[in-house]
Amino acid sequence: MTEPLSVGELDRVEYDIERGKIREFVRATFTTDPAHTDRDAARAAGFADVPATLTHTVVAGHQRDQRKFVDTLGLALERVVVGSVKWTYLRPLIAGDHVVGTRRIVDDIQREGKRGGSMRIVTLETEYVDTDGDPVVRLEEVLIERGERQ
Amino acid sequence: MRAPVKVRIGTVADTRVIGPITQTDIVRFAGAGGDFNPLHHDPEFVATSGFPGIIAMGQMQAGILAGWLSDTFGVEHVRSFGVRFVAPVFLGDTLTVGGTITAITEADGEARADLDLVVSGAKGPVVTGSATVVVTAT
Repeated sequence: MTEPLSVGELDRVEYDIERGKIREFVRATFTTDPAHTDRDAARAAGFADVPATLTHTVVAGHQRDQRKFVDTLGLALERVVVGSVKWTYLRPLIAGDHVVGTRRIVDDIQREGKRGGSMRIVTLETEYVDTDGDPVVRLEEVLIERGERQ
Repeated sequence: MRAPVKVRIGTVADTRVIGPITQTDIVRFAGAGGDFNPLHHDPEFVATSGFPGIIAMGQMQAGILAGWLSDTFGVEHVRSFGVRFVAPVFLGDTLTVGGTITAITEADGEARADLDLVVSGAKGPVVTGSATVVVTAT
């Protein structure tokens, strides 16, 4: 069912939103809202099933090969840091959802560092769509590659 | 849907203190998210990295901050959440999580609050962030 990647598309992940995985994130992030773990509490709060926590898309890490992806971008892994991440929500992810996330390069610039040498700043956007093809969450990641020391 | 929280501009009264951060906390997050970079669990690897000790993955602090945000305002009311990674978190650090409402605006028939967010360790901020959430203005 998954379409091949188009020009400018970097990678794609696809997964089910699972109750057990939601519970793992709840515990790992010290989240306390019972709607995430108790179906009755979720229904009382107006959800069809338990909602995922806000950063559930981190689970894509299980499918991605970070070194391969950094190599594809031509970045030096040991000089790369994630500067910032932003999520934009069109609706909560709910247990039972199936999502496909396609990641694209939206910006790639060089900037002079304050101490000489240049930094490369790569901005990636992942849009997740549900089985109806409707976008549910967008994720923007900014990667910073420090220049090599002179 | 739950009713949006009633708020005013200013610091959110509730804060959350997490820690001291243990290796178990980091391993638990690694298992949830799938980040098995050895910087986060392998002391021998870390010794070759230039870091003075094992560091948590930034996404752990981001997730802790997001958990506070959704517990406070309701996950269905969060329209956006962003973080910047400012400083590393080491084993033994205690984190304080909180936020400040900087503006409340009406858009599309709902009241939305803009927040500045911060996770702080003993030496200052480790993650700063921002969010937009649906609220009930008072």
